[in-house]
Order: sequence, then structure tokens, then C-alpha cells
Amino acid sequence: MSLTVLKGLQSEIFVPNTPPVVWTPVTKPLNEMVVALATAAGVHLKSDKRFNLAGDTSFRVVPGDAPSSELMVSHGGYDNADVNKDINCMFPIDRMKELAQEGVIKALAPVNFGFMGGGGDVKVFTEETGPQIAQQLKEEGVDAVLLTAG
Amino acid sequence: MIVQRAIEEAGIPTIIIAALPPVVRQSGSPRVSAPLVPMGANAGAPNDKEMQTAITKESLEALVSIQTPGRIVNLPYEYVAEI
Repeated sequence: MSLTVLKGLQSEIFVPNTPPVVWTPVTKPLNEMVVALATAAGVHLKSDKRFNLAGDTSFRVVPGDAPSSELMVSHGGYDNADVNKDINCMFPIDRMKELAQEGVIKALAPVNFGFMGGGGDVKVFTEETGPQIAQQLKEEGVDAVLLTAG
Repeated sequence: MIVQRAIEEAGIPTIIIAALPPVVRQSGSPRVSAPLVPMGANAGAPNDKEMQTAITKESLEALVSIQTPGRIVNLPYEYVAEI
């Protein structure tokens, strides 16, 4: 007996699906890891091109030796007041440098990433932006990534 | 989070500091740390070095300690932004 009365019938209540699990086990202690920062908060070098606030799937590289005073935010989707006062609110680059000096982590990665989340073209983020950032992190031998977003 | 998932899928372990943990959970993040912060100050209050250090360091420790995909570790730091 089939329990399906009407094929393709859907609930009128939107039920979001959680995507399948992705998981890479940690294999090193923290003090042997080169860790990168990545943020959807729209962080980039002041000298770099700003994001298009209406939606932007591109990303910017922030070198690990960039001083925090050379960083800024362009993002149309959240209150920038705190991050304009102190970039470390969303991109704790100074804190990561200190943790590296203290030996908590081995080093801050030579490449770190800023992009503009909270909208934009989901397909492009999934098929292009995400994999491109991941590939650059792999090429640089990064052991782990700390993100801020959401 | 799409980019987090892409990095994790490429073989690099990740953790995200989230101001809105339910949203991040729904999007399938493998590891989440959640201090009590507004969106825009996920890593702590502006110019509060002590709070930022604690959130950053304990998130990194959670990266190592979390054994279950999708786990959210709450962090006991609170920042209420003045609007």
C-alpha cells in the first residue's frame, strides 16, 4: 500500500533543510597550527576595492602581517559602528598575533579572507567563492580557520 | 555558513564565532562558538582586549575539543551594544 496520495504535495509551512554534515578532524595540537581568519563581515585593506553593498560574491585577501590600522569594512548588512571603532570586533587580527607570540597557536596564516556575507548569490558563493578561498588556504598550508559571521 | 563548509570540505578544520547560533546551526556549520554578542561584534566589544582575547582563544580551544559535527559551545562573555 502506498501512503502517497498526491505526488509532489508540499507543506505550506516553509521547512528549511540543514545541509549534510561536513567534517574534517583536527589532527594537531593548537600550538602547532597555522590558523587563518576568515570573515563574512566585509573586512579588507583600506587600499583594496570596496565591496558592492547591494551584493558581492568576490573576496579580499588580508595578509597576515597587515596592521589592523590598515583595515576597514564595507558591508551593507549589519551595524558597522563597533567594527568601525575597532576592526578586531569582527576580525581579531591583533588578538591572533598576540596568541601566536604567546605560543598558543604556531602562527597567523599569511593569507586571511574577507568577503560580504548575509545575502548575495548563494550559488556563486557555494560553487566559486567558497572553493576558491578554500583552495588558497590549502596552497598556503593553513591548518585551521577561525571565522566570524552570523 | 557556505564558505565555512567549503573550507571544511577541502580538508581544513574550522570554527565560526557566531552572534546568531540558531542561524549558523541551520546552515550546517561543523563547529560553532557563541558568546553573547550582537552581530557586528562577534569577537567581543570594541577596544575590550580582554574579552576579545578570551573569545578568540576559547573559540580556538573549542575547535580542538568539539568532537561532534554541528556542536555549539556557548562562551560566557556578554556585550550589549549601546544603540
